[in-house]
Amino acid sequence: MSSSKLPPLTYKVVAECSVSKARAGLMTLRHSEVRTPVFMPVGTQGTMKGILPDQLIELDCQILLGNTYHLGLRPGIETLQKAGGLHKFMSWPRAILTDSGGFQMVSLLQLAEIDEHGVNFRSPFDNSECMLTPEHSMQIQNAIGADIMMQLDDVVKTTTTGPRVEEAMERTIRWVDRCIKAHTRDDEQSLFPIVQGGLEIPLRERCVSALMERQVRGFAVGGLSGGESKHDFWRMVHVCTDHLPRDKPRYLMGVGFAADLVVCVALGIDMFDCVFPTRTARFGCALVDSGQMNLKQQKYKHDMEPIDKQCNCNTCKRYTRSYLHHIATNESVSCSLLSVHNVAYQLRLMRSMREAVQADAFPQFVKNFMARHFGSEPIPSWIREALAAVNIELPPDAQEEQAVNS
Amino acid sequence: MKFIIKSISKNSGRLGQLRIKDSKELQTPLLLQTTKGGSIPYLSADVFGMVTQEQQVLQLTLCTMDQMAESLAQWNRSLGAYVGYPEYNTLLLLRDPCEATPTGGNDRDVVPLFTRRGKESLTAERYLQLVSSFAPDVYQGLCDADTNPESTKKRVQKSVDRTERFMEHCYKQHRELDRLKDSTLLAPIVGGYNTYARTQSIKHAREQPKGSYGGYIFEGFHTNGLPATRLSPSQLLPIVEHCVQQIEEELPRLMPGPLTPVLMLELIRLGIDIFDTSYAYCAAVNYKALTFSYTIDKEEHSAFLDVTDEAIREEFKPMLEGCKCLACQKHTRAYVHHLYKTNELLGPILLMIHNLHHYMGFFDVIRQSIAMDQLSLLLDYVRRQNMPNDVNYCIEPNTKVVGKAAMGKGFITAAN
Repeated sequence: MSSSKLPPLTYKVVAECSVSKARAGLMTLRHSEVRTPVFMPVGTQGTMKGILPDQLIELDCQILLGNTYHLGLRPGIETLQKAGGLHKFMSWPRAILTDSGGFQMVSLLQLAEIDEHGVNFRSPFDNSECMLTPEHSMQIQNAIGADIMMQLDDVVKTTTTGPRVEEAMERTIRWVDRCIKAHTRDDEQSLFPIVQGGLEIPLRERCVSALMERQVRGFAVGGLSGGESKHDFWRMVHVCTDHLPRDKPRYLMGVGFAADLVVCVALGIDMFDCVFPTRTARFGCALVDSGQMNLKQQKYKHDMEPIDKQCNCNTCKRYTRSYLHHIATNESVSCSLLSVHNVAYQLRLMRSMREAVQADAFPQFVKNFMARHFGSEPIPSWIREALAAVNIELPPDAQEEQAVNS
Repeated sequence: MKFIIKSISKNSGRLGQLRIKDSKELQTPLLLQTTKGGSIPYLSADVFGMVTQEQQVLQLTLCTMDQMAESLAQWNRSLGAYVGYPEYNTLLLLRDPCEATPTGGNDRDVVPLFTRRGKESLTAERYLQLVSSFAPDVYQGLCDADTNPESTKKRVQKSVDRTERFMEHCYKQHRELDRLKDSTLLAPIVGGYNTYARTQSIKHAREQPKGSYGGYIFEGFHTNGLPATRLSPSQLLPIVEHCVQQIEEELPRLMPGPLTPVLMLELIRLGIDIFDTSYAYCAAVNYKALTFSYTIDKEEHSAFLDVTDEAIREEFKPMLEGCKCLACQKHTRAYVHHLYKTNELLGPILLMIHNLHHYMGFFDVIRQSIAMDQLSLLLDYVRRQNMPNDVNYCIEPNTKVVGKAAMGKGFITAAN
């Protein structure tokens, strides 16, 4: 059987948590197998900031995210086509996912306006008027050749309310049909629609059921993680995973803080992406179970321990907090060293969640993680509520307990 | 530090073996790995391990690491281990050969240390105190090296007199400081381009009791950075030859700085044993991949590939064809050009990987050529690269600004 006959994406649930909605899966793509739940590091412009592809493979990273807007500008689709796609251009043999470009335009460009045709914007070169339509987004993403691509969606600020939210949701559904029609490489690349609907449960439900009528191999949940309250955030994720089909992967866009990842895996999400681990590395911050360690702080000046004794990344094997304190934000190699650690941290966190699900020990994992993460701080109520909604009851905070006892 | 000369020839310079503390034997001519803040620029130890598995000596610089002195005083392992390379030996310099050292600030009793936080005036006592917290395997003596081909006779004389005074302190404290009892001191030879002054500087070192120092460092020929890639061999070489004739054969001789490949070959012929990788770094930060050939053939070669050149934006071949480095094995010119345009950190990383690999390969060939007494042949070949004229190895600063005008227009084409 020739490989081109295989579907470009197959997904299989390998284990489910008997308490929560968490699941472990295996997604098989053209370029790589991806074990879910998975965190996808962001390589915006065809590179992970300061990390070689070989280093990512050593970290067992299976899938990267690329940004269509940036790649469409540089190197541009002509060069990408001549190179034979982004995998070859950047020498990354494993899987890639691309966004649609729409979110970046709305967030980066002033004067971006959306109408039924697409996203209108001013060219960053000559200020002329340009437009990104669902068709153009597909054209660029087909040239990039990512294993998974995103539909162009109508992006509104997460805090928007009123009829604009519903309009954006309806338009997103109309645009997915245009994307499906314009997609020319369906035998190699899988197009994910994006669930919109703001912070309103009925809109989210309507959007999910409309998108489920389309022939797609996975779903993205969009329009979250943009400044809305965490109480709204988890409820939207919860309602989406309640209605999305069990046998297809679910991708929550732009989420990557450790506690959010743990909660959303419990809610049944399989895929995540976020620039945070690499961005924070550039500011001299290392990720640890208790949150972030800002190595620029004076207390690390003479600290001769590695960032995390338990971590087996190449940074923790060789470098002390003290040395990293001195070079962080000063020498550019510090950005590479901290990015390696931070990506290793995210990938390890996902791997341990997967293992916990497979051992059907996920609820205990969540409890242990939250205890380590928050330490003596109280656990935020939204996390308690979200986890309780999937039957994981966290033990009361130490202070609360005292209050009850006294 | 132990140095054994294996062979000396009239036209090919000398081959030697250097053993620092209990390290493996290193072959000279030796290439030190230049660093910034203790790290090989842009490369983590992990990535540098993909460039070479061979034993290396790190050339650390006080001006990029002075802020670590307090921490290092509390560190009980080797200096190499602190910067991520427990397996490597270390040599500490005052100044960073990669960057032009600002002029001025020298005085009777102080040498300026130009750091990230500004200028610190170092007395000999303070310098030795800093060195003692670093506890490097090898370090240089304090000197006034603020001279170049334009320096006046008076200024050159001052540099010699001051250096003598600094070195009196250095020799004395080197014997007394406990943390330096296993370290080797290099005696600085200064005196600009003046044979009389150079002789005086050498004389002062040679008057010291035997064993006061373990080698020489040639200072005061240039003040580092890109201008050092433009030194005139006809001015420099006679002075170096003059110096070499007056120093004992059995001690190794170091000349730091981004000297061109041709000048390094000339200096090796005169008997200089140790250099550093700052030339490879200076090329990389100015977006130049080293492409000069050191394997004798009939083809024409150029000194560099300019990664900023628009002409390579769709060249899907390695920076240097046939190169075995990780960057050339896996990545194309088009990709490195893209990384330059997008100002991505991976660009200089790939350039450093290639340039270090290339330069280390160059030194392997140099040692082979000396062994076969064919250094002159290599020198003529490197100088011309089978071109009609001598190849220009100077590194010009890259002043191109990556602006929006330089961006590709593919996206817009798609949207129109």
